[in-house]
Amino acid sequence: MNTLLSLADNLSKFWSYTGFFNAEIGHIVMILIGLVFIYLAIKKEYEPLLLIPIGFGILIGNIPFNEAANLQVGIYEEGSVFNILYQGVVKGWYPPLIFLGIGAMTDFSALIANPKLILIGAAAQFGIFGAYIIALQMGFAPNEAGAIGIIGGADGPTAIFLTSKLAPHLLGAVAISAYSYMALVPVIQPPFMRMLTTPKERVIKMKTPRVVSQTEKIMFPIMGLLMTAFLVPSGLALLGMLFFGNLLKESGVTRRLAETARGPLVDTITILLGLTVGASTQATTFLRVESVKIFAIGALSFVIATCTGILFVKLMNLFLKKGDKINPLVGNAGVSAVPDAARISQTTGLEYDPSNYLLMHAMGPNVAGVIGSAVAAGIMLGFLY
Amino acid sequence: MRYIKQLLFLFIAVVLFTACSSEIKSTDWVINEVMVVNETNFVDDFGQRNGWIEIYNTTAKTQDLGGRYLTNDPDNPTKYAIPRGDVLTSIKPHQHALFFADEMPFNGTFHLNFKLDPTQENYIALYDNDGKTLLDEMVIPAGIAADQTYGFAQDGVKHNEKGNIIATTLKRVTPSSNNAVLEENPKIKALAESDPWGGMLTITSMLVVFGGLILLFLAFRLSGSIAKSMTQKKVAQSGTLSAARSHSHLSGEVLAAISAAINELKEDQHDIESTILTINQVKRNFSPWSTKRQSLRELPR
Repeated sequence: MNTLLSLADNLSKFWSYTGFFNAEIGHIVMILIGLVFIYLAIKKEYEPLLLIPIGFGILIGNIPFNEAANLQVGIYEEGSVFNILYQGVVKGWYPPLIFLGIGAMTDFSALIANPKLILIGAAAQFGIFGAYIIALQMGFAPNEAGAIGIIGGADGPTAIFLTSKLAPHLLGAVAISAYSYMALVPVIQPPFMRMLTTPKERVIKMKTPRVVSQTEKIMFPIMGLLMTAFLVPSGLALLGMLFFGNLLKESGVTRRLAETARGPLVDTITILLGLTVGASTQATTFLRVESVKIFAIGALSFVIATCTGILFVKLMNLFLKKGDKINPLVGNAGVSAVPDAARISQTTGLEYDPSNYLLMHAMGPNVAGVIGSAVAAGIMLGFLY
Repeated sequence: MRYIKQLLFLFIAVVLFTACSSEIKSTDWVINEVMVVNETNFVDDFGQRNGWIEIYNTTAKTQDLGGRYLTNDPDNPTKYAIPRGDVLTSIKPHQHALFFADEMPFNGTFHLNFKLDPTQENYIALYDNDGKTLLDEMVIPAGIAADQTYGFAQDGVKHNEKGNIIATTLKRVTPSSNNAVLEENPKIKALAESDPWGGMLTITSMLVVFGGLILLFLAFRLSGSIAKSMTQKKVAQSGTLSAARSHSHLSGEVLAAISAAINELKEDQHDIESTILTINQVKRNFSPWSTKRQSLRELPR
């Protein structure tokens, strides 16, 4: 009899450690969100390289367990495996490594050939500051508003980097929001692109960009670093790594290093970043009213960035000669979701003129957006950190 | 001439940006807080109460105070040599070291060989390892009350906006800790008060973003123009079809059509293949860093 009682007692204790016993409705909601991410990644192929790790990370982060038992499994429990991997997010050293890879895989030729496209990348940063103003009005503190605003930069690593410094408690919500909307760029942008352009503007054919010499390509990262980092030293971590990666690519003598940076290194960091950001969305810390507000502001910031990019192109066209006019459909690419935003310019342009290929032109503002959002993050850091 | 003008504009822009950033540089070490008479305050590790001097590391890196000199005598800069090799003199970023002015140097690294005199003005200075370079100095006026300290309200901030030294009698005694207790980020607090709508920050930031990217735009427009003219010169000198194009200003499509027609004509006429067979060795340049073969080693047998 005693043995049976002891067995029952042990089983009862064990039951109290299981996820079934500790589960709350919040965990179930988050697990469902994680499954939606995985579904979107596999079925719709929306940013699968990001959504799969994040979606699975959400599942990992929301497995309920007895926190009082000090099992050291949770991402917020100091010394646990996930906590150690999460330090790259908390301390902000994953995003610069991702930028190194982005630099090593990005061809800035379109930008160098037609440098006026850089300005579109600057205009799209209105999304960041528009969202900052909205977040302030919704009751967030300036540092929190800055972290939320950066979602409008459409740049996941930058958003994570800045939020880890300005408002670490919002990291999960900001990161998930940024990556979700980056994945949903094909859904968010086209209606506003059509709304803000006339049929005549949509079929503007742009000049074929000139061929860019190797010397110019090598000069770009060096000059780019010196000019932007001298202006905004607080953005050095991101800008430095971005331009360094690009020099590895363009120098022509460090092929192995460039391949590592844009291949195995960036893949490894993407896996760790996505998984740990996903796992950081534990229901207890993530399911709050603030998260809903952040999602709403994030959507608005993408809309503002898209609209300001397009409107700025229209403004530029007022001052450009007839043959030099820019198709406003590349304005949306000022947000730095590379290369999705540029791809949307291409597909939308082809809808109205099947012979009008805008991809190479849209890549200019697209990569300028990466630089612009890193500069904007540096400014935010300077003012709010 | 146009290039020179653009270059000049860029240079002026860079100089202006650089000039705007000049301001008073702070030193790496600051004599931050001093207590001359200690009656009921901080007790040292021997249970004694003495005057003390707090030194603050103003930098974002860990620095070693070992080997530097503290003195209360302007004519003797090397009066007390802070011992080298003590791990405790390695001061973390924005942290403090506390020295007791008890005239008991054999009590340990942080016990000085001089005392502070409450009846007169006290001069304190910190010298670099060479005993000549002055790192920081402070004059504590006579008459500071017992258990009160003299120093800077904000750690390491010595000057106000006009460049005047702002040392004063402090409201709180804070040995080895921050003189100002930061309950919230002052930058954020000030911004929330001065710019509640965020409009000014937005305008400022967008100006900077546009400024930075306009600089890039100008730089690449300039370098692009130079590159284009250099390429045109090279092509013109080469005497090739491209040179003809650059002279005739025919479009690429027209030239492609002409080239295709000429090629077709030649194809119809020729009876000898243009392929060249060679026994010359094809050179491939490689370095040990770019080839796997060079980095493979034989396995030991």
